[in-house]
Amino acid sequence: MLDLASITEYVPAFLDGFIITAEVSILSILGSFILGILIALMRVSSNRFLNYTSLVYVDLFRNIPFIVLIFFGYYGLPEIGVYMDAFWTGCLVLSIAVGAYVGETIRAGILSVEKGILEAARSFGFSKFQIYAKIILPIALTISVRPLGSVFINLILTTSILSSITLNELTGVSKVIASTTFRPFEVYVFLVIFYGLLTFMISALISLWHRHLNRYLGEEAS
Amino acid sequence: MIEIKKLHKNFGDLQVLKGVDLTLKPGEVVSILGGSGSGKSTMIRCINGLEGITSGSIFVDGFDVSNKKELLEVRKKCSTVFQQFDLYPHLSVLENITLAPVYVLSSSKKDAEAIALDLLDSVGLADKKDVFPAQLSGGQKQRVGICRALAMRPDYLLLDEVTSSLDPEMTAEVLDILKKLAREGITMISVTHEIEFAREISDRIVFLDQGRILSDLPKDEFFAGDGGLADPRIARFLSKMGEFNGQA
Repeated sequence: MLDLASITEYVPAFLDGFIITAEVSILSILGSFILGILIALMRVSSNRFLNYTSLVYVDLFRNIPFIVLIFFGYYGLPEIGVYMDAFWTGCLVLSIAVGAYVGETIRAGILSVEKGILEAARSFGFSKFQIYAKIILPIALTISVRPLGSVFINLILTTSILSSITLNELTGVSKVIASTTFRPFEVYVFLVIFYGLLTFMISALISLWHRHLNRYLGEEAS
Repeated sequence: MIEIKKLHKNFGDLQVLKGVDLTLKPGEVVSILGGSGSGKSTMIRCINGLEGITSGSIFVDGFDVSNKKELLEVRKKCSTVFQQFDLYPHLSVLENITLAPVYVLSSSKKDAEAIALDLLDSVGLADKKDVFPAQLSGGQKQRVGICRALAMRPDYLLLDEVTSSLDPEMTAEVLDILKKLAREGITMISVTHEIEFAREISDRIVFLDQGRILSDLPKDEFFAGDGGLADPRIARFLSKMGEFNGQA
């Protein structure tokens, strides 16, 4: 049955795939986070243009299958002269698509900041920018960190779809190994365990981050 | 000097303030009394620009509250203490107090912290500087709220029902601090339900009813009954507060 020994020689190849998965994940998390904050700020803005644009963005990217977006980016855009390799196409499309979810998550956090706290800040003469940077976003983040964690775990799992645009990340590498060794069972058992451990570790990190950000609530939290 | 002239404030069709005139001279302590819905909190919120005014004018040392650029100067001169404390929950007590001096007044962090520690010391909370607001009692929170306001070195202190969310014991600890400040000569406008407190600290008592000033009298005349108390509405208010025992 399970014969892991038959695939041990491919561990370095798995690791190469893992490094690509990790790189894409980290870059896309950063990208989608920055984009998400921008989208959230636009969504709560009183400027109607910004508000409407961000709403369209969110609705658009939450309602298109990721695999369609990635095909569009990798196979479609070159037709009109926009070339990027699979790695950067993956990072960009992931950031844009997940940015829509991050934006909605942070927006929910922003909306839950108590009105009185904002009024207090305004009454002391802080600028709008200072109020967002020093008060609203830090508080919103402490509220959004858990749902944000799910969004980012989903992002990491979604990187596996990038194997369909020839990127040899963890899943892509595994496909190759499975077809070379004719041991798909072992290969995919290994892959399942690997993704499981990876997201488990990320959840643990998110929990720590959550506890750190919410330390101000004292004992009653966590 | 704070000069309020013919101040009107509407919320939609609801007229909350219907032509209020009030002048506050430096060093004066004025208490605003009145029932719920009389517009007294709204008045304070108009002075620090949290509510836009419908008509009339408010000038603080010559700065126009309704002018966007001058509003910042007004806010530097007037610090507010809030009923619900409204401390920044994610910052330590010390950071709560130093945030505005550092970012609004551009004080150095070191100076701001020195001032904050002095203030905390004066309200007996020096040992709480590193804890978060959630770990404080209501009275302690409000004492931090007062420190946060004083750290701006304001010319005017606006108190918006600062003891309404506190139990009697905590109320006493907050009022003690405010009494001390009043004696030190700070200029204050205090919206309050605490008649005894108003009597103790105020130079003047303004009584607001349904958006109009019913009486604006020196404290002694107000409580002596030959002025404000002549009006049955004021007498009724005071007797309902249960603090006033037939001195009229």
